[in-house]
Amino acid sequence: MNSEFRAAWPSTHLDDLPKRAYDSHRMSTKERDRIELLQGTLDLLVLQTLLFGPLHGHAIAKTIERNSEEVLQVEQGSLYPALHRLIKRGWITFEEGTSENNRRAKYYRLTAQGKKQLTIETTKWDKLTRAVSRILRPAAQEAE
Amino acid sequence: MIWRRKRMPGALDLDIEEHIQRETADNIDRGMPAEEARYAALRKFGNISQIKEETRNVWVSVWLEQAIQDLRYAAGMLRRNPGFCVAAVLTLALGIGMNTAIFSVFDGVVLAPLPYNQPDRLVLVLLYNQTLKSATYLSYSDFLDWQREAHSFERMAAFQQWDHDLTSPGTAEHLSGEQVSWGFFSTLGVKLALGREFTAQEDVHGGAPVVIISDTLWRNRFGQSPKAVGKIATLDGVDYTIIGVLPPGFRLLTDADFYLPLGQADPLALGDRATHDIASIGRLRAEVGIGQAQAEMNAVQENLDRLYPREERGLGAEILPLKHEIVGTVRGTLLLLLGAVAVLLLIACANVANLLLARAAARSREFAVRAALGASRMRIVRQSIAESALLSVAGGILGLAVARWGVSGLLAALPGTLPRSENVELNTSVLLFAFGVSICVAMLSGLLPALKSSSLDPQAALKQGGRGGTSAVHRIQRSFVVAQVALTLVLLAGAGLLFRTVRHLWSVNPGFDTHHVITFKIGLSPSVAKTPARMRIAYQQLMEHIREIPGVQAAEVTTLVPLSGEDDSLPFWLGPQAPPSMAEAPRALSYSVGPDYLRVMGIPLLRGRFFTLHDTTHSAPVVVIDSQMARAYFPGKDPVGQKISFIHVGQFRVIGVAGHVRHWGLDNRGGLSPYQVYSSFYEISDQWLPVMYPSVTATIRTELDPAAIMRPIKAAVFKAGADQPIYSVRTIQQLASHSMHQRLPMILMGMFAGMALVLACIGTYGVISYSVEQRVQEIGIRMALGAEKADVSRLVIAEGLRLALAGVVIGGAAALMLARFLLSFSTLLYGVGASDPTTFASVSLVLTGVAAGACYIPARRAARLDPMAALRHE
Repeated sequence: MNSEFRAAWPSTHLDDLPKRAYDSHRMSTKERDRIELLQGTLDLLVLQTLLFGPLHGHAIAKTIERNSEEVLQVEQGSLYPALHRLIKRGWITFEEGTSENNRRAKYYRLTAQGKKQLTIETTKWDKLTRAVSRILRPAAQEAE
Repeated sequence: MIWRRKRMPGALDLDIEEHIQRETADNIDRGMPAEEARYAALRKFGNISQIKEETRNVWVSVWLEQAIQDLRYAAGMLRRNPGFCVAAVLTLALGIGMNTAIFSVFDGVVLAPLPYNQPDRLVLVLLYNQTLKSATYLSYSDFLDWQREAHSFERMAAFQQWDHDLTSPGTAEHLSGEQVSWGFFSTLGVKLALGREFTAQEDVHGGAPVVIISDTLWRNRFGQSPKAVGKIATLDGVDYTIIGVLPPGFRLLTDADFYLPLGQADPLALGDRATHDIASIGRLRAEVGIGQAQAEMNAVQENLDRLYPREERGLGAEILPLKHEIVGTVRGTLLLLLGAVAVLLLIACANVANLLLARAAARSREFAVRAALGASRMRIVRQSIAESALLSVAGGILGLAVARWGVSGLLAALPGTLPRSENVELNTSVLLFAFGVSICVAMLSGLLPALKSSSLDPQAALKQGGRGGTSAVHRIQRSFVVAQVALTLVLLAGAGLLFRTVRHLWSVNPGFDTHHVITFKIGLSPSVAKTPARMRIAYQQLMEHIREIPGVQAAEVTTLVPLSGEDDSLPFWLGPQAPPSMAEAPRALSYSVGPDYLRVMGIPLLRGRFFTLHDTTHSAPVVVIDSQMARAYFPGKDPVGQKISFIHVGQFRVIGVAGHVRHWGLDNRGGLSPYQVYSSFYEISDQWLPVMYPSVTATIRTELDPAAIMRPIKAAVFKAGADQPIYSVRTIQQLASHSMHQRLPMILMGMFAGMALVLACIGTYGVISYSVEQRVQEIGIRMALGAEKADVSRLVIAEGLRLALAGVVIGGAAALMLARFLLSFSTLLYGVGASDPTTFASVSLVLTGVAAGACYIPARRAARLDPMAALRHE
C-alpha cells in the first residue's frame, strides 16, 4: 500500500483523514506517509480486530493504529458510524461492561455471521489487491 | 452476559466522551501536559457533532440499502419465474381491482359529502303519519306554518317536482322541473352562476312569471350566453322571464331543467291541507342537533293538531339527514358488496400465498444454506415479503386499471340504479385505498410463506435433499384450499340466494300481464290544453288515433302506472260520516283510467262492469274497487252498489271489482296503501284535471317491438299537434326489472362468485398437482405393488374431494349464519329462506364438482406415471 492509492480512489467522508490548517504546517514526515482508507475498509479492519475477542471502541482504534505500524491512522470518530453499521448488519454485537480500571465501557464482539462476513471480505480484498497490483506492477508480477 | 443483537446502542455521547478520556489518559502517559493531551485527543477524534449525525444516519441508510437489495433480489427471482409472476399479478389485480372498484362506488355514492355548503347541517323535514308509521310529504300550508313557527333552522325551503313542456326557444320538448319556495338555493348554500334567486314577492299566486334554468338547459337552448338572463322561455304556453342560471351539476333529488316559484302553483292543491305533495328541507342552526329540532317540530305539529284536527290529527314531524335520504338503501347493498369483494380478495391472497409457499418449499435448501451461513431469520422473512410486496404493487397498479374499466362498465350497464353515480371517480382516497389494500395483500399472502420458510430447520432441510419441511408446507397449503373452498361457498350461496329471489320475483303473479305493455306520456299542445273540456277531447282523440295503428291491440290513458314507484293515495271512508282525522283514515291508490285500461293491462274484472265513455263528469260518480278492498270492507257482501267516499271528490257508487295488482313492486314491499280504486278518467272534475295533467300516461298493448311501434305512434301524435312531445317511454317489463333492488347485488354477487370459483379451482389444481409431485415415489411403489391406474386416479381425486368437502361444510355453516344475519336487517331476499336447501345443495354440488374437476388433470398425470421412473424419482 502506498500513497498512489489516494489519487486512484477518491475518498469518502466517512474515512477521511483530518485535513485541518492546524495539521498542515506542522505535519511530520510520518504523518505525510499516512493514507486514507477505502470505503468499507474500516469495517473490514474492525471485524478483523474483533476476531481475537471483544474490545471497547478506543481499544479498537488503538489496535488498528498499532497493527498498521501507525500508517493507517483512523480519524477515531469515524469508528462509531462503522460500529453502528456493523451492528445493524448483524455482524457484531455489543454489551455494557466495565474496563480494566473499573470504568464503564461498551464492548463489541464479532458474531458468527460477522466471522463469515470477515472471511468473505478478506477473500474479496485479496483478489482486489492482487488484481490492482498486477496492473500497477506488471514487472514485479512476472518476477514472482 | 447478554449480547444484544442488532439493537441500536444508546448513550453515544457517553461512549464518545469515554473514548476521548481514554485517549487523553494515553497521551498523558506519553508525557503530554494535561491540557494539550485533551486537546490532541479531541483533534484525533474529529468533528464530534458530524460523527454523531453520521452514526444516527447509519441506521436508516443501512436499512434502505438492505431494502433495495431485497427488492432487487426479489425482482430477480420473479424475472426468472415469469409464469408464476404473471399468474400471481393477474390474480392480485383481479382481487385488488374489484375491491377498488366497489370502494370507489361506495366512496362516491355514500362517503362523498353532498355538493352543498355545510351539507351535514341540511335535513329533510317531513310529516310522520302515526297510523301508517311512515314519513310522508306535507302540504304547502304545513310548510308555511313550520317556516314561521320553527326556530331550529337557519332557513327552510319547500320543493315539489313539477314538469312542463318547453315550446320556445327551439323545438317542443318535455322538461323536468321543480317548484321551489324562495330561499331554496340559499338554504342549500348554492350560489347561482348567473342572475338571482326568487324573491318572496315572486313566490305567491299571481306573482311575476320568472324561471331559473339549469346549466344544461342554458347550454342547450341559450348557447351559454350571459345574456340569457332576461330572455323568455315558454313553458306550456306561458312566457317566463329567466332570472337566473344554476351552476353545472346542481341537483337535489331529481335532475331538473328549470325551477319555478312554488307559490305560483295551482292554488287548489296548494291551499289544501290534506294534499301532501311537498317536501321541505331545513338548514339546522349551528348549535341545534337533530333531536332538538325534532322535539321542536313535534311541539309545532301538536299546535297544528289543535288548530286543524281534521287534517293534522295523527301527524307528527320527521327529520332526516338529507344524505340519508339521497343515499337511501344503497348504502347497505354497497356494504354487502364490499364484504363480498373482501372475501374474493382473501381467496386471491390464498392462491398467491399457495404459489409462494410451493416456491418456498422448492427453495428450502437455499434458505437452509443461507441460514447456515448466518443470514438472520428476519432477513429471510424480509426477502420473502419483498417478493410479495413487488407482486402486490404490480397487482395494485394493474388493479387500478381493472377498477376503472369495471366501474365505467358497471355504471354504463346499469344506468339509474345508483344515486349520485356521477360522483364515482378514481380520486385520492380511492388510490390510497388501493395502495392500502395492496400492502395488506402483501402481508397476507407473503407473511405466512415467509415465516414458514425461515423457520425450516436448516439441518433437516439439507439432509432431505431440499425437501425439508415440505410436509409442513403442504399442510398449510391444504388448509388454504379448505379456506378457499369455504369462502367461495359463502359467495356462491349469497349469489344463489339472490338469483333464486329474482327468479321467484319474475314468476310471481303481479295481478296483471307485464308483457307487451308500453307506457309513455304526451305533452298536450298549449293551444289544446287551455280548457279541461278540450283536454278530455284531445286525449280521447289521441287514443282513438293510436288504436287505429296496426299492431296496437289496446290503448288507454291512466293517471297511475303499476310498478312505476309513483304514489297517488286518497283517504276514504264508508257511510255518510267523514272520519275526524284524514291522516288516520285508511287510504287507497287512486287510478283515473279510460274504459279500455283493464284490457291494456290484462287485469281481470271479477264482478260488475267497468267504465264506458258515458261515465263522465255529467253522469253519476262511480268507481271500481280491487279484490283486496272488496274482501276487507265488504266481506260476504256484494260490493257492487255500495257507497264509498273520498276526500275532495265526494261519494261514489261501486260498479265493479277488479283483480288486485302488485303496484309497489313484485315483492309487494313498500307502499302504504294496500287497496286500489279505479275511477273514470273522464269523471275528473274541471278543477282537478289541471292538477292531474302531469301524471296522465298513455298505455298500449302490442306484440310488436317497442321501438317499431313508437314510430307510427309519434307520427300520429305529431299529426294532431307538432308541439306535442312524447316522453318517458318505458315498457312495464323495464319498470318491473327496475323495481327489483336485488338486481344490482345479484349481478355483482354472481360475478364475484364466478371469479371466486375460478380462483378456488386454480388453487385446488395447484395444490393437488404439487401433492402428486411430492408423492411420485409413493405412487410408484403402489403401482409396483399392483395398484391399477384407476386406483391411483381415485387416490388423487379423493385427496382433492376431502379438502373440498371440508371447505363446503365449513363454508356452508358460515354462509348459513351470514345469510340469517343479513336477512335480519335487509329486504333483499324474497320468497327464499335464508337457509334455502335448494340453493345450498346446488352450490355445494357445483363447488364439489368443480373441485373434483380441478383434480382431474393431476390425477391423470399420476395414473400415467411409469412405476420404474417414479421409483427412481429424486
